[in-house]
Amino acid sequence: MHLLNRVEAVACAAREFPWLGDLTPSSIQRWIALELGTLLDANTPQTYGEHHCSARALSPILHVVSGNTPHAGIQSLTRGILVGGKNRVKLPRQGLPEFDHFVRLLPAELQPETSNSLHAAWIEEAEALVVFGSDETVEFFAKHVSPRQRLLAYGHKVSLGLVMGSFDANVIEGAVRDVLVFDQLGCLSPQLFYVAGDSAEFAKGLAERFNELFLSDSAVAEWTSEIAGSLRSCREEWKFRAATEPGIQVWESPESLDWLVIHDPNPSLISNPLYRTIFVKPVPADLLSVLTPIRRQISTIGVHPVNSNAVELAIQLGAQRVCPIGRMQKPAVTWHHDGAPTLANLVRFVDIEGLA
Amino acid sequence: MNMALEEEILCFLQQPDEEKFETIALRLFEHQKSRNPAFARYCEFLGQSELIDSWKKIPAVPQQAFKYSELRSFPASKTAAEFHTSGTTRQGFGRHFMGSLHLYQAAVQKGWDYFNLPRYPLILLMQDPEKAEFSSLSRMGGILCNYRRDCFYVNREGGVEADRLRTFLWNRTDPVTLFGPALAFLNLLQEISDLPLPPGSILMETGGFKGIDREISKEDLYARLSRCFSIGVDFIWNEYGMTELSSQFYSRGLGGPHFGPPWLRFLIIDPKTNREASPAEVGLLRIFDLANLWSVLAVQTEDLAVAQGDGFLLLGRDPAAVPRGCSRSIDELIQRGTSIKREKQGIGLGLNASVESR
Repeated sequence: MHLLNRVEAVACAAREFPWLGDLTPSSIQRWIALELGTLLDANTPQTYGEHHCSARALSPILHVVSGNTPHAGIQSLTRGILVGGKNRVKLPRQGLPEFDHFVRLLPAELQPETSNSLHAAWIEEAEALVVFGSDETVEFFAKHVSPRQRLLAYGHKVSLGLVMGSFDANVIEGAVRDVLVFDQLGCLSPQLFYVAGDSAEFAKGLAERFNELFLSDSAVAEWTSEIAGSLRSCREEWKFRAATEPGIQVWESPESLDWLVIHDPNPSLISNPLYRTIFVKPVPADLLSVLTPIRRQISTIGVHPVNSNAVELAIQLGAQRVCPIGRMQKPAVTWHHDGAPTLANLVRFVDIEGLA
Repeated sequence: MNMALEEEILCFLQQPDEEKFETIALRLFEHQKSRNPAFARYCEFLGQSELIDSWKKIPAVPQQAFKYSELRSFPASKTAAEFHTSGTTRQGFGRHFMGSLHLYQAAVQKGWDYFNLPRYPLILLMQDPEKAEFSSLSRMGGILCNYRRDCFYVNREGGVEADRLRTFLWNRTDPVTLFGPALAFLNLLQEISDLPLPPGSILMETGGFKGIDREISKEDLYARLSRCFSIGVDFIWNEYGMTELSSQFYSRGLGGPHFGPPWLRFLIIDPKTNREASPAEVGLLRIFDLANLWSVLAVQTEDLAVAQGDGFLLLGRDPAAVPRGCSRSIDELIQRGTSIKREKQGIGLGLNASVESR
């Protein structure tokens, strides 16, 4: 299928998934142009310096999708389709209904082969493997992939927010929305906010907004016993600490496990059970050293306000993406996922010399 | 000090009278609230307007609190013993202080006897309490063997003394009790594959199965122990205890519930409401231990369990059972970094670092 038709097909299927972001034909074409110029046009190699060049898809592409955040799987498939590869997808055992729905919206010839189990032949035949999962999953594939295959590994990440100036209700609203998406399970979901000003006031603001949102939402989250147990244990532990340690404050959803906000004056990193559990801490003088243990795993840092100082600080902290608070879950379609181009990594560049 | 109350609880341990449990528990609660500032602040924070007129209403302190506060119901200067949790997960380790060991000793001995556990010669896969001053498990072993050093089969470096164990069991015909943490048994199984115990012997293992470096199910461990020691699975017991408590629950074989002695009660708490769960519902285990005179008598664990008769079926806790999407837990990352560093330094997980609570 021609590139333009693939772009149309992806944009058409994506219309039913607004949370995938801006995937219109024009935005997709701009994305392709940014990463590959016109090199993806299979029919005409393009002038490239003193020679010509063409970009051809690595194919087949094996996408290994894990976890319960379907957007990652759909995004990965989208990239594979756009570059023109044959796509195979290993889905999690429990399946991904949203992914299946997206696939059904694609023309038959663009639909990938899918499986809930991993076939050795798929690994062997793949020219590129895109792996989402834990470090252990990534390590497994790293061991089983030959140096002649391209492995793009998207391991688990931590994201956080940085409030460096005065904040208002809009910033609070944005922070709450960033936490709510995917129940805080996405790699772009903030786990904590560092606040330069009145951090306790920021935490209180988050709690008040959560309370308003959940008061009007009667749906009670049905967590498993394991999830509910970890959330309850976290609440009780921090309530004890709030009772016995100065500066710690806890706000929780009444009679439910819907959300939890903890203000902790100690800036050091702490365990977070997620599922709408958010920590707020003051910005320490040595934030760089506080975050050193997770520096390589930081994905997105949401900042407020967005200015050169805040951006530079976030970059120094290890961010691979810096954005305004409130847009943490909405990366541009052109973003460099985990710091690398998403389309250009799925092609081989063929350099052609001597072509008139 | 708390002589009168200590004496009263000791009497209860000697001659349990179920009807007195509540009276003693309520007195103990008032006593601890008046002498334990951290506990008093917690009770005040919870702001319960409801009258505490039942042992079930006594506020339970989260197990993790032992990491953050000195939960003493007696003056620090009178500390007679101090036990530490292993601190293998999360921040730091917990500490349990005791003003005397009389109650602890009685709880260990009377609990053991309550379940008619045999007083065979003990082989203890743990360190001598002199080498592990802060280990409650070592202390328990010491109490059970009357502090005979030759009963302990884990050396200062944390290694199991398999050769000495073989020698002790060589040609032995009288039954023995082999007692230690699951991790110690796993280490032992790496060194020996066939070491029949004399007929009638029992095994007592303690500690968790999930979350330790070497993943193994309880079924797999019991099958391997059964083969190695030529002992029926029904002769393998589990002791469920923790540093934060003074008494222990026991279960026998696979799939059976844990039971405690009369001075130890439990509730299953619905994590969604923080109130007692409906029968047969899975929830968090909350324990009330009258022998915990020196700290707090009610401890809220992070373990999942379901009530079964007078006991509970322990489901434990498995961090891996909580789906996390692609968002990584910060403490996992830090722990992973630490464990990689330890591997590079060639430091193994010794037996003095077992599971969370011990």
